Amino acid sequence: MNRFNRHALTIAAGVAMLGLSGLARAETIKIALAGPTTGPVAQYGDMQMMGAKMAVEQINAKGGVGGKTLEAVVIDDACEPKQAVAVANQIVNQKIKFVIGHLCSGSTQPASKIYEDEGILMITPAATNPAITQQGYKMVFRTIGTDDQQGPTAGRYIAAKIKPKKLAIIHDKQQYGEGIAKEVDKTVKAAGLKPVLFEGISKGQTDFSALITKMKKDGVDFVYYGGYHPELGLLLRQSREQGFDAGYMGPEGVGNKDISAIAGPASEGLLVTLPADFSSDPANADLVKAFKAKNEDPTGPFVMPAYAGVQIIADAIKGAKTEDAVKVADHIRKNSFQTPIGKVAFKDNGDLKEFEFVVFTWHADATKTPAK
Amino acid sequence: MSGFSFLEFVQQIINGLTLGSIYALIAIGYTMVYGIIGMINFAHGEIYMIGAYVGLMAITGLSLFGVDSIAAILLVTLAISILVTGSYGWTVERLAYRPLRNSPRLVPLISAIGVSIFLQNYVQIGQGARDVSMQPVLTGGWRFGPADGFQVYLSYMQVLIAVVTVAFMAGLTLFISRSRLGRACRACSQDRTMANLLGIDTDRVIALTFVLGAALAAVAGVLVGMYYGLVNPFIGFIAGLKAFTAAVLGGIGSIPGAMLGGVVLGLAESFASAYLQTEYKDVVAFALLILVLLMRPTGLLGRPDVEKV
Repeated sequence: MNRFNRHALTIAAGVAMLGLSGLARAETIKIALAGPTTGPVAQYGDMQMMGAKMAVEQINAKGGVGGKTLEAVVIDDACEPKQAVAVANQIVNQKIKFVIGHLCSGSTQPASKIYEDEGILMITPAATNPAITQQGYKMVFRTIGTDDQQGPTAGRYIAAKIKPKKLAIIHDKQQYGEGIAKEVDKTVKAAGLKPVLFEGISKGQTDFSALITKMKKDGVDFVYYGGYHPELGLLLRQSREQGFDAGYMGPEGVGNKDISAIAGPASEGLLVTLPADFSSDPANADLVKAFKAKNEDPTGPFVMPAYAGVQIIADAIKGAKTEDAVKVADHIRKNSFQTPIGKVAFKDNGDLKEFEFVVFTWHADATKTPAK
Repeated sequence: MSGFSFLEFVQQIINGLTLGSIYALIAIGYTMVYGIIGMINFAHGEIYMIGAYVGLMAITGLSLFGVDSIAAILLVTLAISILVTGSYGWTVERLAYRPLRNSPRLVPLISAIGVSIFLQNYVQIGQGARDVSMQPVLTGGWRFGPADGFQVYLSYMQVLIAVVTVAFMAGLTLFISRSRLGRACRACSQDRTMANLLGIDTDRVIALTFVLGAALAAVAGVLVGMYYGLVNPFIGFIAGLKAFTAAVLGGIGSIPGAMLGGVVLGLAESFASAYLQTEYKDVVAFALLILVLLMRPTGLLGRPDVEKV
């Protein structure tokens, strides 16, 4: 019995050592990519995953970070705040220290608290609600602008260029949509333009005929919509169908090809505020070629910010010479980084020091051109 | 807001009736099943969603074959969707409810919720979780009113929805009141045990009820697909909730009640959106439900439930 035990112990020790050496060889730095890969806004998740994976691939091809390779772990939060909390806990349990995500503001907010508490570094390439970086957190960054930059851009454009007689502002009652609608409201009011209508529709609503009739009767000639593309697509289509031909404008959450698939010809002329088109920057020509070689579209608004997020993490790990996420976060705050979205530096709250939104005109064939 | 306009009022009635027709078609499925076995079939919203998917596929398929006559598209699509969705309804009853026929009332209810989750995920895996969109098959309509002012717009699609809804409801009413099977349905609804004793195959009648409910949900699904042109695996939840509300509002168990409930709910939502704020449309709809239930606990057209001794 005794001898048997000793043998067992030897074998166990041997197995354990084998296991350890196996681990040492395959050691990677894991980066979680948290965002929607299912659900109505999964298109945006694709942009995020595509950009981040490309960065991981290219960094690994150049020898990785400090001799280790990066490993992307995709986790789906479906843009549901509840699921985002579960995803964050999953990331904690897997002992992953770096996160690119989440995508929707509504799901980023609850998840960010968990990351802050657990010392996990989070960079969102897409969540634009200002509140996310107003929580005094040290571990939360974003490589995209905020709605209090995007809203005013849209608001100033409406007040200065469109000069509507009767403006309506509609939103989807979500953190992102309503937040940005309020920013637009504030900006146009400051410019002396008072919206005749400020109302919320429901996420997932399909029938907007009553609202459209009301706007038509009130003589609304321009509509700002804060929210995502599924609702705006139907709103546009039903507006044109009813003969309500006011101009429409929306934030970057409506700017993807599905708006044209849903609204068809009604999406022609829609105005959208988007991050500047980084893929047209000559400095990114090689990167764009790499995306095109994989048959991927680099023009989506979150592709380059997601790429930049991964790159910043990699550079900061190199710069700080540690994988300790708290020290890496500190390094990010104190330095600037050359990325596909330009040279970036962060404010103390984790927001970018500078970020520019540009107004684009959307076309029925799902392309966009800078608006005049 | 710039005062009351009669033409806008007319337009809002059109909007509300269109929405209400869809609610009513789905509500009938809830009410028929409740009327006969006293169970709320929570999977009914998902059956409607499947109807919409099948409809969308059929329309896309037909246009691939170059069929461009609206009547042909509509008839063939309705036929395919009713057939496929009806068999889903039948299968669900057979697998998830019939084995539980004599268990406590809560058991089939839980089973229904399970079926609902199953179907949602099943479609999500099979068809993808994303929105599927389709360009309108039937466009255009009539405009009334001054050329320079507010014009009432009545689209061909809205007329089609109203006509198809009325046709199917008239058909159902005739079927229930005149046909042999319809009489069997009414008998089962009054007293299932007695009907069974008198030689009616109640299991068959119940299966028929599920198929009929599913068929009407399929009609609603096809119409919604053609009208809004956007489906995803999650549309069944909200539609189901609204239709269930319509059924309760009209008096659950009563078929004319479900029709009336749907229309009242559609109009209430439209008017709330028009004359209050859009935010309040669900508040108004559900406040109306509570009010009606307070005054008439059995709904608008429901009969008081006599405890059977």
